[in-house]
Amino acid sequence: MGNDQEIFKRALAREKAARKQAEKILEDKSRELYFITQQLKEANEQLEDLVDVKESELQGVFDNLVDAYVLMDLHGNVQEMNQAAVELFGYDVRNEKLNVVQLIYKEDYEYAMTSFFKLTQDGFFSDYQARVYTKHNGVRTVHINASIIKDKNKKPIAAQGIVRDITTTLEQQRIFENQRQQLSVIVENSSLGIVLTQMGKILQTNKAFQDLLQYSQEELLEMNVQEISMPDEYKESEENMKKMTSGEIGGFSINKRYRKKNGGIFWAKTSVAAVRKQNGDMQYQVALIEDITDQREHEKQRDLLLKNLEKSNKELNDYAHIVSHDLKSPLRSMNALITWLKEDYESVLDEGAQQSFDMLLKKVDKMDHLINGILEYSSVDKGEHIQKTIDLNSTVKDIIDIIYIPDHIEVTVTSDLPVVQGDNFRLQQLFQNLINNAVKYNDKEKGWIKVSCIPQKTHWQFAIEDNGPGIPKKYHEKIFRVFQTLDDNKESTGVGLSIVKKIIDLYDGKIWVTSEEGKGTAFHFTLKK
Amino acid sequence: MSLTFLLIEDDEIERMKFARVMQKNNFNHRLLEAENGEEALKILEKKDSLPDIIFLDLNMPKMNGLEFLKILKSDTSLNYTPVVILSTSNNHNDLKDSYETGVAGYIVKPLKYEDYAHKIKCMIEYWSVNEFVNA
Repeated sequence: MGNDQEIFKRALAREKAARKQAEKILEDKSRELYFITQQLKEANEQLEDLVDVKESELQGVFDNLVDAYVLMDLHGNVQEMNQAAVELFGYDVRNEKLNVVQLIYKEDYEYAMTSFFKLTQDGFFSDYQARVYTKHNGVRTVHINASIIKDKNKKPIAAQGIVRDITTTLEQQRIFENQRQQLSVIVENSSLGIVLTQMGKILQTNKAFQDLLQYSQEELLEMNVQEISMPDEYKESEENMKKMTSGEIGGFSINKRYRKKNGGIFWAKTSVAAVRKQNGDMQYQVALIEDITDQREHEKQRDLLLKNLEKSNKELNDYAHIVSHDLKSPLRSMNALITWLKEDYESVLDEGAQQSFDMLLKKVDKMDHLINGILEYSSVDKGEHIQKTIDLNSTVKDIIDIIYIPDHIEVTVTSDLPVVQGDNFRLQQLFQNLINNAVKYNDKEKGWIKVSCIPQKTHWQFAIEDNGPGIPKKYHEKIFRVFQTLDDNKESTGVGLSIVKKIIDLYDGKIWVTSEEGKGTAFHFTLKK
Repeated sequence: MSLTFLLIEDDEIERMKFARVMQKNNFNHRLLEAENGEEALKILEKKDSLPDIIFLDLNMPKMNGLEFLKILKSDTSLNYTPVVILSTSNNHNDLKDSYETGVAGYIVKPLKYEDYAHKIKCMIEYWSVNEFVNA
């Protein structure tokens, strides 16, 4: 029995020891666990802090992104958008629901769907460019880079896109392109040769320039200005170029010669201007070249012609002057001699002889009138034109007072006459000749002459009407030619109307006649205002 | 008072006309005649018989009237002598040049002798009542 007890005791002690050990292990493990838990807790706290930091960092980026940022689910429902996106689209998902499909411009729908398909397939797309409707700004063109967001199982859950409004940029590009095209059309079609150079080296030319020099663009780009210039003239260009480089002059224009590919030479007016950098340094020179070979030839001819014309005109004027005076002297002698014959031999001359002498005197008289006419006619466009303010009312009134008007003829001014700028003497000559004619040739018992004026846009239109004999139609042009007269008997020289015509020509006017034979004539004429 | 006239005129009949006016009006004046400027200058060299008035034609061969006038005006012993132009020209420039150089009168010769005779008569009568500087 004692043995049994011993065994029991020992077993108990063993068990006690084992439990103690177990307890210790448990205690150790427990402590270990506690530490691990502590560590985990700390780590977790740290992680949480980190996430917080990252999240707020992200939020900052997200908010401050200049470009619009849109986050949406796979059905296109917008989940989040930044301030730039709100501004761009005019919608704000915090206040209203928004699906991107409603933003797609209808013509771009298909393209948008294709792109969206690509996005789901490949996980991204870039450089998507299409038009969208916005709430307040109408249709805008946008550029989008997008990507798919996946969860940890690689399952797509959302999509995000960065959107940039490129409407203005595109518009500017379009305008720029348009302008570039317009400019190049002008440059290419210019009849002026245009060349861009840098330090004498040819950088760019237009067609006219290539045509003028007969070189191709490729050939010209390998050349410099010196090669197409004349050695003796290149210096002048170079001096000007130096002045331009220093900023002394902005550009210059010279006439110089150019050598063509075939060795031929032509004269060209060359205008060179500096193209400067922002800091004022000359970057390029642009030269406009105009072939003036023909022009120079024409100018030469014209100068010569003008000189000759001036000379012969002066000669003609002097000639009229001199000849008429040389002719006048003998006429005076003839008159004197005939008068003396009549006086000194009065007693021996019969009536027939006296008559013949009288007729001779009349012819001498007529001759003198003609010569005066030539003088007057040739002096209309001679001498100074003194431009003065002239009231034609008083001019015509003076004429009516000066010239002889028989009692049976009445001259009236039926409308107010204008005040014009002109040469008093010539204007008086003009009206006097016309009124005088009307008075002189009036054949009616009660004659009348009416002077009137109607203002036109650029001219004054005058009329001098009478109830005289009228002028046959066939003479309506002829009467204005010098020495053309319809009357043989009276002292008409046929100069009066040609002087009238000449004066009207001086004032850029016209003269024409309306007349009914036997009933009267109206002279219409215009004078430039 | 008897005056001395110098008529410078290349045309013989013009000289006859002037003489005839004087004769017809019984003017008691002395008439010297020169056919041109050179001849007139020779006459004027004789300082003892200087004319009181000079009548001058403008259009003359060789030395013309205006050239003669300029020479006359530059001569201090002669520049007081009044000069009257007789011309067929009423050209503005001729008149201006004449008065600028210094003339006492300018007569345009009319076509008709009667008119001429009347003008010359008036002129001679006018100068007859004038006083002259005796050189």
